[in-house]
Amino acid sequence: MPRSVRPARARVLMAVALSAAALLSACGQRPETGDGTSTGVAATPGEYETGGVIEYGHEQEPPCVHGGWVQNAYLARQYLDNLVSLDDAGTPVPWLATSWDISPDRLTYTFHLKPDVKFSDGTTLDAAAVKTNFDAYLNPDSPNGTVAAYIGQYYAGGEALDRTTYALHLKSPYSPLLTVLTQGYFGIQSPTALARGAEANCSKPVGSGPFVIDRWDRNRSITFVRNPDYNSAPANAKHQGPAYVDKVIWKFLKDPVLRYGSLTSGSSDVIYNVPPINWADATGRFQTRQYVTPGRPNAITLNVDHAPFDDVRVRQAFAYSADREKAVETAYLGVVPYNPNGALSQSTPDYDATAGAYVRDPAKAGRLLDEAGWTQRDGDGIRVKDGRRLSARVVYASDAIIGPEGAAVLQDVAYQARQVGFDIELVPATQSEYFGGRYAKADTYDAYVGYWTSPTPGLLYINWRQRLEDNPNPYNNAFYNDPSLQGLIEKANSSADPAEQRRYYSEAQKVIGDQALAIGLYTQTTSIAAQPKLHDVWIEKSQGEPVFSDARFVR
Amino acid sequence: MTTLVDQTTTPDGGATPSTPQRGRGTSAVWLRWLGKLGSAVFVLWAAASVTFLLQVLAPGDRATLLLNLSSGQSRERTPDEIAPVNEQYGFIDPIWQQYLHYLQGLLHGDLGTSYQLQQPVTEVIAEQVGPTLVLTVSALIVAWLLVLVTTTLTAGRRGPLGGLGALLETVSAGLPQYWLGSILLVVFAINLAWFPVESGTGLRGLVLPVLTLAIPLAGFLGSIARDEFARALDQPFVLTARSRGLGDLSVRARHVLRHSVIPAVTVSGWAMGALLSGAVIAETVFARAGIGQTLVAAASSRDVPLVSGIVVLVAAIYTVANLLVDFLYTVIDPRIEVP
Repeated sequence: MPRSVRPARARVLMAVALSAAALLSACGQRPETGDGTSTGVAATPGEYETGGVIEYGHEQEPPCVHGGWVQNAYLARQYLDNLVSLDDAGTPVPWLATSWDISPDRLTYTFHLKPDVKFSDGTTLDAAAVKTNFDAYLNPDSPNGTVAAYIGQYYAGGEALDRTTYALHLKSPYSPLLTVLTQGYFGIQSPTALARGAEANCSKPVGSGPFVIDRWDRNRSITFVRNPDYNSAPANAKHQGPAYVDKVIWKFLKDPVLRYGSLTSGSSDVIYNVPPINWADATGRFQTRQYVTPGRPNAITLNVDHAPFDDVRVRQAFAYSADREKAVETAYLGVVPYNPNGALSQSTPDYDATAGAYVRDPAKAGRLLDEAGWTQRDGDGIRVKDGRRLSARVVYASDAIIGPEGAAVLQDVAYQARQVGFDIELVPATQSEYFGGRYAKADTYDAYVGYWTSPTPGLLYINWRQRLEDNPNPYNNAFYNDPSLQGLIEKANSSADPAEQRRYYSEAQKVIGDQALAIGLYTQTTSIAAQPKLHDVWIEKSQGEPVFSDARFVR
Repeated sequence: MTTLVDQTTTPDGGATPSTPQRGRGTSAVWLRWLGKLGSAVFVLWAAASVTFLLQVLAPGDRATLLLNLSSGQSRERTPDEIAPVNEQYGFIDPIWQQYLHYLQGLLHGDLGTSYQLQQPVTEVIAEQVGPTLVLTVSALIVAWLLVLVTTTLTAGRRGPLGGLGALLETVSAGLPQYWLGSILLVVFAINLAWFPVESGTGLRGLVLPVLTLAIPLAGFLGSIARDEFARALDQPFVLTARSRGLGDLSVRARHVLRHSVIPAVTVSGWAMGALLSGAVIAETVFARAGIGQTLVAAASSRDVPLVSGIVVLVAAIYTVANLLVDFLYTVIDPRIEVP
């Protein structure tokens, strides 16, 4: 869904071009599945209430409030402010930084901070505080892995020029920088609080955001209370100043039946991840929003380090073997979109819809396998070459990353691949195996399933930079080392010209698609459903984080 | 543990003839209780050791896991990244040293600090154990009430009533807890709105989670009691009682029941352990806080101190429950000596 070339949207925009600006923002976004605008019932009209408590039913509970997982980013939005925010058009807009200058060589970003902002513990939010944060996130002894993955290769250092001016220096130009800084992982914490040590920062990190963490009842909920002094809302917030409601109770409702039941019974005002089976019902009763998170979609990344996927023909044959679109539609009941491109999801800027679109063609898959020498079949119908079966272990982190619907998609794909002679073994990894690095080494898997949410195609650099002895890249799960692919992405990352960036990113996606390195399945999607009496809950763009600071109830 | 008990065998299944026991010395009784305490301590030690070693020796690197979980990633970590974590948690020490260190802490009541939550394990457990104990103990009590009623009314009867009782027990014993919980949730909380959807901390919220655990357990305990009940009904003392003109229900409730429940009481010690593991399901389905959910989360993030701490606690509850069961025998039937 590249925003600049969607004709229907352009027509709508033209049609309302003369209307008032408010009307434009309301009508300009076509209410359709996947772009984060409302698809359900309209909000109930009425008089706004003061105060109130939003009960929000979330799904997963991270071990700490702050960290580098998307689960942490969701929480960050409630209690942290970032330097910049991402607006609906995907442009970085002011937040803690009211403005910024980029040096002519594009190696220094100078941020001018909003004066008079305080953290909720009373500490002043100044340039020194910002510097402390970046230093802490990139501290080689205990880095925030996600922050380091984005800017570690580029970051040269930071300095506080005066009380409200912070300069960030880069080793080489990095165009996605501002977009990257909009993610919750880059939120600015109180340096006083950071100095308290690991335990306090795990359960009660301190920011300057619209809400303050009041208490965390593990396994149940995190209670956020309103920050009455809040004066640093991002430019794209629906209002400035403190949040309207008194509290947000962020409940962990892991069971899907319970989560949706909690909404229908009125125990929750908003829930996250509406179960696909309830989506149709939800759109008829609640305000629903679905945001296709940009970044890498859920995709099968093929490991080129060893047989069988070291041969491009075998990889392509695998891509041709299954009707992935049908598999996704069946498992997700049409609620979550199919994403053929395995490198980027369709809501990522500069997404190339033509990359990696292998339409199911078992005959072609068979020919490719014949060409690659897998001509024999054994008693089970599995292809054999030189006495070796065409088998592959497909590893996925069940539950933590791939839910039951995603597992059904994989089963369908594996079944269809068997028809052309692949012996696909699905290996559900437990969370501890997965995060414990059991499947980190090249010889432990043949294919790997997962996603990575990110607002920028610059993510390609993290996933496809070469995995070299002297400059290791653990995020290159395909073990695909190609200097020309890395070169394309680097050129795109450092280019100042949007058209040129787009061309390079597109070429990179084509290489990944043509080489059949990542087989796309479905997008990572944030979906929420809210009671009609609760107005203005929205999903922000960088990570699909729900935003509650503008929300209020009507009587 | 053999559950067969009647007037001629002791509860531990030995074929010791039932010699007069009241004349035995109290010192022998004390020795027996001491022995039981000793074996309880042994169970605790074994549980702690096995859990600790299993967790430590499981594949995958703990330092890597800690770093990855905090960033939601699955990647290899460089030695430079791992070194400070290994240092902080003592992962580089030989395993026997880590083990001794762990046991030492255990003796002092120190269960260590959770890797993931960065909080003392005893604190985490103290926060979470209350709701779980309330849930499991209530479930055990409710299960017993169900058993007492159905057994007394239907056991040993020929005809439709007895058949119905047996059928109910068999069906409910086989109900999967997750399925039962979901059905109860959908019907009684979501559709009928008789109970809150999220169980919270109130009494009304406790009903459905308790039933989720109690119904299958009642079926299980009931089928044990039923067989014993039928057997007891054939005993001469029943005939004697009836011949004294006692009504059927009185005979059942006042004479037969006492004999029939002993094997089910024996199993209750085990049931307490099973309830604790079943608690995680009820806790998830009804969004209750508790040790079950904590254990699953801790195990899936390989939080060694927390998993070990919870397992030791569960083992402790289990042992205490079994000691109580042994004590209960002597209350139900004073002729039974402490096994």
